[in-house]
Amino acid sequence: MASLFKDPSKLSMYRDRRFPGNQEEYVQALETSTTLYVGNLSFYTTEEQVYELFSRAGEIKKIIMGLDKNTKTPCGFCFVLYYSREDAEDAVKYISGTILDDRSIRVDFDWGFEEGRQWGRGRSGGQVRDEYRTDYDPGRGGYGKMVQRELEAQRQLVDYGAGSLGAFQPHMSSHYGRHGGDRGHGGLHRHRDYPRKRYRDDDERSAPEMSRRTSDYESRRTSDHDSRPEKNPRFRDSGDSDDDEDDDRKRRC
Amino acid sequence: MSSWRTLLLRIGDRCLEYGGTTDFKEHIETCYSVIWREFEHSKDGIFELLLQCAEQLPHKIPLYGVLVGLINLENEDFAKRVVDTTCSSLQDSLYSENYDRIRLLLRFLTGLMCSKVILPGSIIEAFETLLSSAATTVDEDAGNPSWQPRADFYITCILSCLPWGGAELIEQVPDEFDRVMIGVQSYMSIRRRTQDIGFTVFDSDEDKFLEEKDFLEDLWDRIQVLSNNGWKIDSVPTPHLSFEAQLVAGKSLCLSSISCPEPPEPSDRHYTALRGKEKHQARLKYPQRIRRLNIFSSDKTENIQPIDRFVVEEYLLDVLLFFNGCRKECASCMVGLPVPFRYEYLMAETIFSQVLLLPQPPFKPIYYTLVIIDLCKALPGAFPAVVAGAVRALFERIGDLDMECRTRLILWFSHHLSNFQYIWPWEEWAHVKDLPKWAPQRVFVQEVLEREVRLSYWDKIKQSIENAPALEELLPPRGEPNFKYSTEDSLEGLDGYTLSKEFSGMVRARKTAREITSWIEENIIPVHGFDVSLEVVIQTLLDIGSKSFTHLITVLERYGQVIAKLCPDHDKQALLIDEVSSYWKNNTQMTAITIDRMMSYRIISNLSIVRWVFSLSNVNQFHISDRPWEILRNAINKTYNRITDLRKEIQSLDRSVLLAEEATRKAIKEYEAAESKLEVVDGQPVQSEKPGRLKRLKGYSEKAKDDETSMRESLEAKEALLARAVEENKALFLSLYKGFRDVLMERLPPVSADGKLPKLRIANVDSMAVDSEEPSTMEVDHDNGRTDNSQSNGEKVFPRYSTGEQEQWCLCTLGYVKAFSRQYASEIWAHIEALDSQVFAEDVHPLFRKAAYAGLCRSTPEL
Repeated sequence: MASLFKDPSKLSMYRDRRFPGNQEEYVQALETSTTLYVGNLSFYTTEEQVYELFSRAGEIKKIIMGLDKNTKTPCGFCFVLYYSREDAEDAVKYISGTILDDRSIRVDFDWGFEEGRQWGRGRSGGQVRDEYRTDYDPGRGGYGKMVQRELEAQRQLVDYGAGSLGAFQPHMSSHYGRHGGDRGHGGLHRHRDYPRKRYRDDDERSAPEMSRRTSDYESRRTSDHDSRPEKNPRFRDSGDSDDDEDDDRKRRC
Repeated sequence: MSSWRTLLLRIGDRCLEYGGTTDFKEHIETCYSVIWREFEHSKDGIFELLLQCAEQLPHKIPLYGVLVGLINLENEDFAKRVVDTTCSSLQDSLYSENYDRIRLLLRFLTGLMCSKVILPGSIIEAFETLLSSAATTVDEDAGNPSWQPRADFYITCILSCLPWGGAELIEQVPDEFDRVMIGVQSYMSIRRRTQDIGFTVFDSDEDKFLEEKDFLEDLWDRIQVLSNNGWKIDSVPTPHLSFEAQLVAGKSLCLSSISCPEPPEPSDRHYTALRGKEKHQARLKYPQRIRRLNIFSSDKTENIQPIDRFVVEEYLLDVLLFFNGCRKECASCMVGLPVPFRYEYLMAETIFSQVLLLPQPPFKPIYYTLVIIDLCKALPGAFPAVVAGAVRALFERIGDLDMECRTRLILWFSHHLSNFQYIWPWEEWAHVKDLPKWAPQRVFVQEVLEREVRLSYWDKIKQSIENAPALEELLPPRGEPNFKYSTEDSLEGLDGYTLSKEFSGMVRARKTAREITSWIEENIIPVHGFDVSLEVVIQTLLDIGSKSFTHLITVLERYGQVIAKLCPDHDKQALLIDEVSSYWKNNTQMTAITIDRMMSYRIISNLSIVRWVFSLSNVNQFHISDRPWEILRNAINKTYNRITDLRKEIQSLDRSVLLAEEATRKAIKEYEAAESKLEVVDGQPVQSEKPGRLKRLKGYSEKAKDDETSMRESLEAKEALLARAVEENKALFLSLYKGFRDVLMERLPPVSADGKLPKLRIANVDSMAVDSEEPSTMEVDHDNGRTDNSQSNGEKVFPRYSTGEQEQWCLCTLGYVKAFSRQYASEIWAHIEALDSQVFAEDVHPLFRKAAYAGLCRSTPEL
């Protein structure tokens, strides 16, 4: 109803380079789409959490988790498909910039899911934004991939024989008590069940592979914890990330 | 210098464009001077934006009124255009029944009158038109009292203009104004009080409610107080007074007279059910804007004038209406209203009144969740405490809260907390653990925790209640699947285990659904029987699909047919749902999702879900868990969505058919015109058009005809689908009401010999009476209990819940009868004849009838 304050440019902020059409078709696709892109998710957020939140805007048809190309584990984004355009619009209006799993998530219209779009587009398999990130984000695998590689290289130099990265004990618990009022949200996710993972094309074969992938996932995760004090986004007090510019989706073509 | 656009938009706001001041006179002067400078250049742009602003920023109407007044001094044409356009928009809205526009345009006209753009007499004339239409409508003979909602709405419109223009009118046209007031008074005396018990948020208010004033009577009271105060009002700015000296020089215009649509012809008076239906339709067209909840004690809000409360509510509701989707603007507008007093409590009450508005709020409840989150951020020092106060107050009365409202409150609260790190002083509520498991407060806490776990994860929520470890008992189970064949030595015996292994092997080997079906039909059912087969198939498939929502969908897409073949009828489908519920017994969300998806793939029907919900094990949970209700809600909602989608498609096809008809007509006409063009050659008439063109035109017209035909065909196909869906809907509601009727008949206490209805709440009312005798000590005790560590003296301090289990079950189930009836009233009214003959027969329990009728807003026949 309101038209006075709507930002008409909001739709075209980001242009997916892989969209097979011109700008006009792209805008048209966004304006009629019932598919949403959801970004800045924690790697631990499950489809069921997404379902619980997004079903409050309407009946959900499908959820497609974004997965790391290499590890086949969630890498921090997903697509949500609704049955009706109106519900999709409401989800963008009412859920974007609010908190899911302690993170402020982004919700945008998407031109439509196609097979292949579930994979991260970063060099290391995850999202592009996680390649270059320099902060420590425990919800998204710790440091960015570039920083991780650097840290690993350094660690090789000062390795006192422990050899395996998995032997590094995380230091998070030492920061536990500091945030009295917050009741230590930071360290919590480690006790959590790993998200049920899914493999779109080989459901029935996923069970035996599960353990291997889980352990990959786990060792990758634990190796992320370095002795530097963590900077935990879960302690951010403002949940407003309308201006979250570091998402790889935001790169223009 | 800011552009005229920004200045128009921002006028009245504390903002940079106006140097941070809020002096309205200065704002108007600044804005006017810029507008006037740009006037010749962008007259049309100014005209358009000004009208838009007046409609969409209605709390600034007085400012926009003065701007038009000032322009009127220099350019009468412009002001006339504003008046004429507004007036004709008002006329259109009256006929298109766009109630928000009617209300706001009338207010804008009043604002223009204050700034001497419109003659006061003209406004009076408009009021009188509305007044006489209202009076006719409620007249038994001349009108159609079913449409009282519209009549009431017109009167509300008149009254709600008075805070803006009452002072002006009484000064300039006192006699005419008195006439209007007398007219309203006499309307008030002939209308009926609106007693839609079905829409009350608190059930126990019922008896009180009947004596209470309704919205219009309350507004009328407030207006009369305002009138007695000499029309002085704090919440409406009066910038026109600062410009009076200039404005009086302006030429005031007459409004062209408006007219109201006639009330529809009353439907057949012989069948009273139809009148109920008509009333329902009128209510849908003119829904009540707010049902004010008095959440806080009056000392928090009532130190303002009664009329100020109404005006601030108007402001807030309009901001919510027009700023939907603009988060930042919405929050800043809500906190920056042009009133000289604080209104956080009023704001919270207004928003909660919308969240809990029955039958439904204007927007999805999640919108208000967002608004509350944003207000908590915008006013971090004040608003969170007010919200917490509202939660506490509602929690105290949760047992009286309508069932639908309870669900909304649970969804809102869990979502709200998820945005604020799940921090809540749970220790205040630790005592609910000691209440019986059907106590509404206990169920509320349990369901909030359930939703929190869904939004987050179990360990985290457990940690969030560490200050109230007693509440851990109310946490849902950890949510893992309950797979019968996880180990060889399960209770289910080796058979099932082996079969399940074999089955999942086949799935892994990518056997087709057909292969698996024949394996089941040939090898399993004959040997092990149906029950074992069903168990093995469902347990195994669910286990394969247990890892996520997508896994589930994949399995159902691939092997749904296997299940469908196995369970072709309602009975078997109900068993199937039982099996789903058993596999996911620790996880309500997955149970609900699985059932929902199975209905999507048409593996199970809505009727079998209803049947399952009314099976004994579920019925026994009605008063202690939301689980069966969530599943029932989903099933009905999905059915409703399907039929709504069909209706929408048909609507758009209807339009397309009309367009196609038009196109055909045009093409044929063009062809015929071309064909009939003759010229005389050698004394003989011959066609003058080239044969090529004729052929082409003929082709076009034939194609247009074909298009039209195919369009009609698809419309017919959809209409057939709709007709089927309507029949299915009828079956669904019949089965729903029969289900309710049967379980209630078994459990409701009988009507006593003298015909008195059993009172389910008696026990509780007594305890309430005790409480209310010493409310202040209760409060103190409560606080002490909290600070002195509730464990030590918890028993003594906290109130018990005295409603018995059976009574609570009845209250809860009746509450849902009302809630479902209300939510789907339009669908249900469509089948009222069938329901009347098959469900609401003479011998039906009066309490059941009462609950259903309340939801439908249907008058209960005398008992």
